[in-house]
Amino acid sequence: MSNMLEVKNLHVKVEDKEILKGVNLTIPKGETHAVMGRNGSGKSTLSYVMAGKEGYEITKGEILLDGENILELEPNERAVKGLFLAFQYPIEIPGVATMTFLKAAMNAQRKARGEEELLTPDFMREVKSAAKMLEIDSAMLKRALNVGFSGGEKKRAEILQMALLKPKMCVFDETDSGLDIDALKIVSEGVNALRDANRSMLVITHYQRLLNYIVPDVVHVFSNGRIVKSGDKSLALELEKHGYAQYDEST
Amino acid sequence: MAVKLNQSEQVLLETLQKTGADKLAADFAKVGLPTRRNEAYHYSDLKMLLGDVPALTTGAISTSALLLNIEGAYRILIVNGEVQISDEPPAGMVVSTSKGGVVEPENDIIAKLNSALTKETLNIDLQGSLETIIHIDRRYEGEASHINDGVELYILDNSNATIIETFSGSNEAHLSNSASKVILGKDAKVTHIMVDLSGDRVRHLQSVQYELNESALLHSLIIHKGSALARTQLFAKFIGENAHADFAGLILGNNEQHSDISINIEHNVANTTSSENYKSVVLDRAKAIFQGKILVAKDAQKTDAAMKHQGLMLSDDAQILVKPELEIYADDVICGHGATCGQIDEDSLFYLMSRGIEREQAKSMLIRAFLAELFDEVKIEALKEALISVADEWLEA
Ligand SMILES: Nc1ncnc2c1ncn2[C@@H]1O[C@H](COP(=O)(O)OP(=O)(O)OP(=O)(O)O)[C@@H](O)[C@H]1O
Ligand SMILES: [Mg+2]
Repeated sequence: MSNMLEVKNLHVKVEDKEILKGVNLTIPKGETHAVMGRNGSGKSTLSYVMAGKEGYEITKGEILLDGENILELEPNERAVKGLFLAFQYPIEIPGVATMTFLKAAMNAQRKARGEEELLTPDFMREVKSAAKMLEIDSAMLKRALNVGFSGGEKKRAEILQMALLKPKMCVFDETDSGLDIDALKIVSEGVNALRDANRSMLVITHYQRLLNYIVPDVVHVFSNGRIVKSGDKSLALELEKHGYAQYDEST
Repeated sequence: MAVKLNQSEQVLLETLQKTGADKLAADFAKVGLPTRRNEAYHYSDLKMLLGDVPALTTGAISTSALLLNIEGAYRILIVNGEVQISDEPPAGMVVSTSKGGVVEPENDIIAKLNSALTKETLNIDLQGSLETIIHIDRRYEGEASHINDGVELYILDNSNATIIETFSGSNEAHLSNSASKVILGKDAKVTHIMVDLSGDRVRHLQSVQYELNESALLHSLIIHKGSALARTQLFAKFIGENAHADFAGLILGNNEQHSDISINIEHNVANTTSSENYKSVVLDRAKAIFQGKILVAKDAQKTDAAMKHQGLMLSDDAQILVKPELEIYADDVICGHGATCGQIDEDSLFYLMSRGIEREQAKSMLIRAFLAELFDEVKIEALKEALISVADEWLEA
C-alpha cells in the first residue's frame, strides 16, 4: 500500500446542510500536502470528519487510512492507528493536568499496540526533550490542559502532542495562525523533524508563508466543499497573488 | 389537627414514648415526618421516602472495614451510638462524653428526634493548634437498626483543627440519624469534612450545626457517596464579625439513590463573608438535591455571600433539583447565586479521544476534572488524596 490517506468522493452534511460535496484527496506515504481555501469552505469539517468527531452525517464516500476504511471507527481508534489532528482551536480543559493528559494519551496508544505502560522517568524524559525542541516552557506543562495558554502556546502544545505520539498521518488545521514569526519557525522545524518516508502530512493553511518552511509536495485548492485544483507549491504563490475568485463556481 | 401517621411514623412515635420523650412524642403525634409541604423538605418528602423504621439499636460490635484510612489521624469510633475512646488524645484536646444529645437546630423534627434519642454525645474541646487530623469514625453495625448519635466540637479561641467524620458500617437497612455541632471560637480555624460511605440500603440523616465567632474561619465539606437515602441539613450561624466560611459539598449519586444536601446560612452580624460551592454528579436513576438558603439579618451590613451549584448529569434518567433562596434584610450586602447543569462536554471528550484515550477513560478524566476544584480546596495532602480516592472508587464502580 503506497497511499497513506485516500478520501474518496466524500459528502458530508451538518444539520441538513451539505458542507463537503465530493472531496477527493490522495496522499501517498511520505508526502506532505497543503490545502488552502476560503473561510467556511469546509476545511476544518474535513479534518473533523477524518478524526471522527460526532455530529456529521456522511452521506457518501469513504476515508482510507493506510488502506483501511476508518469511518466506522471511534476517534481514539483512529488515533491509535496513527491519525493525528492538530486542532484549529485546541480545547481548554480545566481540571485535567497537561502532564496527566499526555501520559494518558501515550499510554492509551501503547496499550493499543500491546506495549507496556511508560515508566514515569521515561515519560518525563520524552516530554522534556520534545518540549525543549519546541521551546515550550516547563511551567506551561504544569498547568491544566490548554487553560490560560496563549493562542501560540496552544498551537505549540498541539505539536508537542504530535511529537510524543508520533502519528503516521498528521493533519494540521491552521497550526500557523496565531504563531509569531519565531514560533512559526520553531513549530515548522518540529514538524519537519518528523517528516519521513513513512509519515504523511496534510497542512491546512491560509498563508503561503508557512509553506516556505514546511514545503509541500502538492498544493490543493479547496472551494465550496471540494478540491477544485491541485498543483505543486507554485500554486500557493499564485493563490496569494490572485485570490480564490477564479475558483468560485457559478452553479 | 393531627395528621394521620403512617407505619414508619407510628414506629417512631412508639420509640419516642418508650424512651420517655413525652413532650416530643406529643409534638410528633401532631405533625409526623416532614412532607414536601414543608419547604425545607420540599424535594425529600420523608413521610414518603423513609420506609421501614427498624428497632432502636441495642448496641453492636464494629466488624465492618475502615473505608477511609487517614494516615496519622487520631481516630475515635462511635459504634451504633456508643462512643469508644481507645487512644490517649493529642495534647490540647479534651475528649469526653455526655448523656443525651446536644444538637437541636431550629425547629427541625429530624434534629429533634436525634436529640431525644441519642444516648451519648461525644464532646471534643480543643485548644491550640492541632496538627493531628481528628477522625470521627461513625459506624452503623449489625442487623438493620435505628441509630442516633451526636458529636459536639468546641474549637476554642485562636485554635486550629481539621476534623473528618465518616459514616459507614454493615450493609443493612439502617436508619441513622446523626448530628454534629461545631463551635468556632474567636479566630479559630477549622476544616470539617463529612463523608457518607454507608451501604446502599442505609437511610442516613444528618444535621450539622455551626457557630462562628469573631474572625473565625471555616471550611466545611460534605460528601455523599453511600446510602439509599441521604440527607444532610446544615445550619450555620455567623455570630461574630469578620468571620468567613467556605461551604462546599458533593453528591455522587447512582442507582436509585436519593441524596439531599440542604444548607441554611445565617449572616446575623456585620462584616461576615461566605462562599457556598456545591456539585452533584448523577448516574442511572439517581436524584440529587441541593437547597441553599442564605439569610442576611437586618444588621448584617457588608455581608458578602456567593452561592453556586454545578450539576453533571451522566444519564437521562437521573435528576438534579436545585433551589437557591436568598433572604436579605440588610441593604449594603453582596449576595448572589448561580446554578449550572450539564452533561459531559462533547468537544472536550472528542479532544481527549482524538489523542487515543478510550471513551470511558476520557469521561472519567472529565468527571475528575469537574470535581478537582472541590478537592483542591483541601490543603492537607493526605486528606485530599483520601477524598479523591473516594471519588475514584465511585467512578470505577
Ligand atoms: N456544527 C455546525 N453547524 C452548522 N454549520 C456548521 C457546523 N460546522 C461547520 N459549519 C459550517 O460549515 C461550513 C464550513 O466550516 P469549516 O469550519 O469547515 O470551514 P473552514 O474551511 O475550516 O473555514 P476557516 O478557514 O474559517 O477555518 C461553514 O459554513 C460553517 O458555518
Ligand atoms: Mg477551519
